[in-house]
Amino acid sequence: MSNPDELLRIEGIRKTFPGVVALDNVDFDLRRGEVHVLLGENGAGKSTLIKMLSGAYTPDAGRILAGGEEVRIHGAQDSERLGIATIYQEFNLVPDLTVAENIFLGRQPRRFGMIDRKTMEAEAAVLLERVGVPVSPRARVRDLGIARLQMVEIAKALSLNARVLIMDEPTAVLTSEEVDKLFAIVRRLRADGVGIVFITHHLEEIAALGDRVTVIRDGRSVGQVPASTPEDELVRLMVGRSIEQQYPRVRPETGDALLRVEGLTRDGVFHDVSFEVRAGEVVGIAGLVGAGRTEVVRAVFGADPYDKGAVLVDGTTLRRHDVGAAMAAGIGLVPEDRKGQGLVLDASVAENLGLVTLRSATRAGLVDLKGQHAAAARIAEQLGVRMAGLGQHVRTLSGGNQQKVVIGKWLLANTKVLILDEPTRGIDVGAKVEIYQLVNELTAGGAAVLMISSDLPEVLGMSDRVLVMAQGRIAGELPADRATQDAVMALAVGTPAGSGDHHTAGPEDDTADTAGTTDKETPRGH
Amino acid sequence: MATDTLKSSTGAGGASGGLRRLLLDNGALTALIVLVIAMSALSGDFLTADNLLNVGVQAAVTAILAFGVTFVIVSAGIDLSVGSVAALSATVLAWSATSQGVPVVLAVLLAIATGIACGLVNGFLVSYGKLPSFIATLAMLSVARGLSLVISQGSPIAFPDSVSHLGDTLGGWLPVPVLVMVVMGLLTAFVLGRTYIGRSMYAIGGNEEAARLSGLRVKKQKLAIYALSGLFAAAAGIVLAARLSSAQPQAAQGYELDAIAAVVIGGASLAGGTGKASGTLIGALILAVLRNGLNLLSVSAFWQQVVIGVVIALAVLLDTLRRKAGATPVAAGTSSGGGKKQAATYVLAAVVAAAVVGAMSFLHNGSSAAKTERIGLSLSTLNNPFFVQIRAGAQEEARKRGVDLTVTDAQNDASQQANQLQNFTSGGLGAIIVNPVDSDAAGPSVRSANTSDIPVVAVDRGVNKAETDALVASDNVAGGRQGAKALAEKLGGRGTIVILQGQAGTSASRERGAGFAEGLKDYPGIEVVAKQPADFDRTKGLDVMTNLLQAHPDVDGVFAENDEMALGAIKALGSKAGTSVQVVGFDGTPDGLKAVEAGTLYASVAQQPKELGRIAVDNALRAAEGEQVSETVKVPVKVVTKENVAGFGG
Repeated sequence: MSNPDELLRIEGIRKTFPGVVALDNVDFDLRRGEVHVLLGENGAGKSTLIKMLSGAYTPDAGRILAGGEEVRIHGAQDSERLGIATIYQEFNLVPDLTVAENIFLGRQPRRFGMIDRKTMEAEAAVLLERVGVPVSPRARVRDLGIARLQMVEIAKALSLNARVLIMDEPTAVLTSEEVDKLFAIVRRLRADGVGIVFITHHLEEIAALGDRVTVIRDGRSVGQVPASTPEDELVRLMVGRSIEQQYPRVRPETGDALLRVEGLTRDGVFHDVSFEVRAGEVVGIAGLVGAGRTEVVRAVFGADPYDKGAVLVDGTTLRRHDVGAAMAAGIGLVPEDRKGQGLVLDASVAENLGLVTLRSATRAGLVDLKGQHAAAARIAEQLGVRMAGLGQHVRTLSGGNQQKVVIGKWLLANTKVLILDEPTRGIDVGAKVEIYQLVNELTAGGAAVLMISSDLPEVLGMSDRVLVMAQGRIAGELPADRATQDAVMALAVGTPAGSGDHHTAGPEDDTADTAGTTDKETPRGH
Repeated sequence: MATDTLKSSTGAGGASGGLRRLLLDNGALTALIVLVIAMSALSGDFLTADNLLNVGVQAAVTAILAFGVTFVIVSAGIDLSVGSVAALSATVLAWSATSQGVPVVLAVLLAIATGIACGLVNGFLVSYGKLPSFIATLAMLSVARGLSLVISQGSPIAFPDSVSHLGDTLGGWLPVPVLVMVVMGLLTAFVLGRTYIGRSMYAIGGNEEAARLSGLRVKKQKLAIYALSGLFAAAAGIVLAARLSSAQPQAAQGYELDAIAAVVIGGASLAGGTGKASGTLIGALILAVLRNGLNLLSVSAFWQQVVIGVVIALAVLLDTLRRKAGATPVAAGTSSGGGKKQAATYVLAAVVAAAVVGAMSFLHNGSSAAKTERIGLSLSTLNNPFFVQIRAGAQEEARKRGVDLTVTDAQNDASQQANQLQNFTSGGLGAIIVNPVDSDAAGPSVRSANTSDIPVVAVDRGVNKAETDALVASDNVAGGRQGAKALAEKLGGRGTIVILQGQAGTSASRERGAGFAEGLKDYPGIEVVAKQPADFDRTKGLDVMTNLLQAHPDVDGVFAENDEMALGAIKALGSKAGTSVQVVGFDGTPDGLKAVEAGTLYASVAQQPKELGRIAVDNALRAAEGEQVSETVKVPVKVVTKENVAGFGG
């Protein structure tokens, strides 16, 4: 059994939580110098599995072997000793400490009892060099973009001499350019003999990076296949059935313009943004992270102020920076940060669904609780939210079901223009298709959808028109039949000054300034 | 995302939410039940209808404050100002009705408006000024307290009689404060559960940004939330003052922390999003049961504070453990794992109960067994050597006479003292000795002792509007006069002096100050250049004196209304003390006398606190046996200087 290359072996692991079997008879192994992809829908048990390795949970049955010997991992110290490092989706970094301090947090090199800043920063510089990220060890973590935060996490893992690196959906929040950089780093680590457990929902990444794939479904390992397995086959293994069509967009007749945005400008963030959205239409907004897409839709929704321009619904101008006015006009926003901005995590499904209609359901200060509950029950049924009951806290729902709740609260308010910001980030294939179907139903009913997405195939597959933003401006607009990945990317990375005629070209230094600002605003999520 | 994996396997129950809530409440409820059982096992006086109503009355003010704070905590804020706002509202009521002649109904409305206004300012600072709620309400804590002292000029104001009925009983048995508490509690439950603003509180507390992006007008709601808290504080202030028949500018100090503790014990999270009216009520009851029970059990005043702290921590700990065990999974209680964990928490509860019972029986001196006479001594504070000396004298005498003496510490809080006196009365003691925090405020509780035919002896300060069998005191006004004489003569009748005043609003400070001013009239060459409060506290005396020296570097003398402040001033003066600056203190505490011996303190107007305690116990015992005692017993006051200090034992 002693394969010298084997770093880790998990045999027949079982873990139950009261009422639920999270994992049952799962096998998994990891060798030196390989990328082993862990694939499965949200809620399949991937997170539970990696938490056994990081020491957050202990298994009820089965065993874990490290280097051929059975081990027990009872906490973060145990896993650290075994050379296992985990990079979660939510980073464990302290925003107000420097990069070097974060890398050596709790293990700072000391001299005479004082922290030896020089040595610490020199060692951090070496690690950062190895990861290949041009960040000063003295930079404050708060000022870094999300991609760089991830690199700092990797550097921290390297500083622990990790032989096993677990990465939980590291690409979910990255742009394609950043993903390429991350892959280069992961390949280099693999060449150094590190074993990497890689969790992703992006099937195309598997062939690009992976060596082997273990598929988990409903808490069981259903198969181990090589990374070259065709995507259809992987999907079938993952969801237990084959998905006919990944982007089932049905295009209805388009009607009148529901939403018009004219010359919207916020100094230093976005400039002269104009577009319209028609009834029955899905308009996609593509672009790199930091191009100002989220900022524009938040301004349209009234969540943030703007300096110039106008937002019109049915010909009437909306008051600036007034969420109430936007809602009254029928605009809804599903924000990009589902947990941070979309949901009250420790409130029930029913309460979250009733949030938008809370005011309209109030008479003389009293809420029509019965009516709210009935409406929530109806919409949850319609959306197929998988839950134990309306009283379940949304924190305990899977990502896809959480997103359905966020969309559901807007459906209850009869929203005419629904803005979706990264609607399927971190959501598995099956749930994605369900959300696309919802978009179809909405547009078929005469509503319009404005969708931001960093997932290019999704934008191309679901949009009727694609707006591409770059450096705070609309770099161009492509109809569905002309929108290809190449065409979109060309606009997204090109200089916007030459591409459009519907805006005044800004002076050079202004553009540079914008780029600087947007880069700083890049960090998202946690 | 631990819970991602917990895919709901259906059927497990839509009831899980309800069940969880129930469990959540039960955490605090269990603690309360454990406490009640422990108390009734330990003290036969606990589980009587009278005493339980006492507990209700004693919980009322904290509970009403805590209901208001619940709104704020549910919406993820904090309100530290409620105690001060309560005092301010009561002061406004009493001031406008008594000295301004405003009709009582209007005065009540004015008081409530004051509370709401304070809340609105808090809300405005938090939502529009973007101050952290901790800071905004901390500022209001200080402002409201200051304003209530300004309005009342530091003295308690008599409460209009028609409002004082709020402190009485209805139909002879149902105390009105309990009724008010229940009504406010129902109101809180209704607001939280049914109204738009209540539902908004949970949404804002759970995730403010999500609430805003769902169209809730967060800023306006916050204004209303803090205003509600202010309204409840005003109500609490009125009930508190009604019970004492007097509006105390210093009332309800530190009550904000009790209120917050009650809310958290009741299962709310300081992070916001959770909390219920019933939980808050249970939290307030736990605190009241504890205080009441510890009084009944004659647990030492110092240990009481330790026990209260421990029980607060245990109650919240128990709740947290129960929640962890019962609520993590989607479907609670459907598997054996959950059952096991729940069993574990019951075991823990049992251990806690055993610990509480054990600790209390250990601490309560086995007093209930013997048939000896029991008397109670309620001291205004034990934070000061003077009162510790009174206690020492009283205990010495009690030991000599073979009686059982229970000493409680009111921590300078008139309402806490009222509770303790009530507990003495319902405990059926042979006699009560009271050292009032405030002479007016002690009235109502002494009256109820009068009704139960329990003799009361006042020590150090008198009780107004009630019968006391004897007053054992040294004459503060005369002492002030003597102090003035001693200082002025030492300075040769000319010079500049500063006065360090005691806690604003206390009778000791008022009387000594008045006596000193009177005595100084004979010495026109002495000029008082500054007069500042240092709260009878040594550290504050040091700070205030340091500040005053900046403004008046050539001061010749200092009069401090007690020795503690005088000792602080001496520290500030350094080598000047006793040489170029003469300091006169008051009380003659052991530390003070030492300083007199060393020459740094020129003189101390010495009371004989041990004598006070001894004579008080003697009179109480004689009164209890039905002997006639003289109405006032004056214990001599004496100016102690280096010449006569040796002969003065203290």
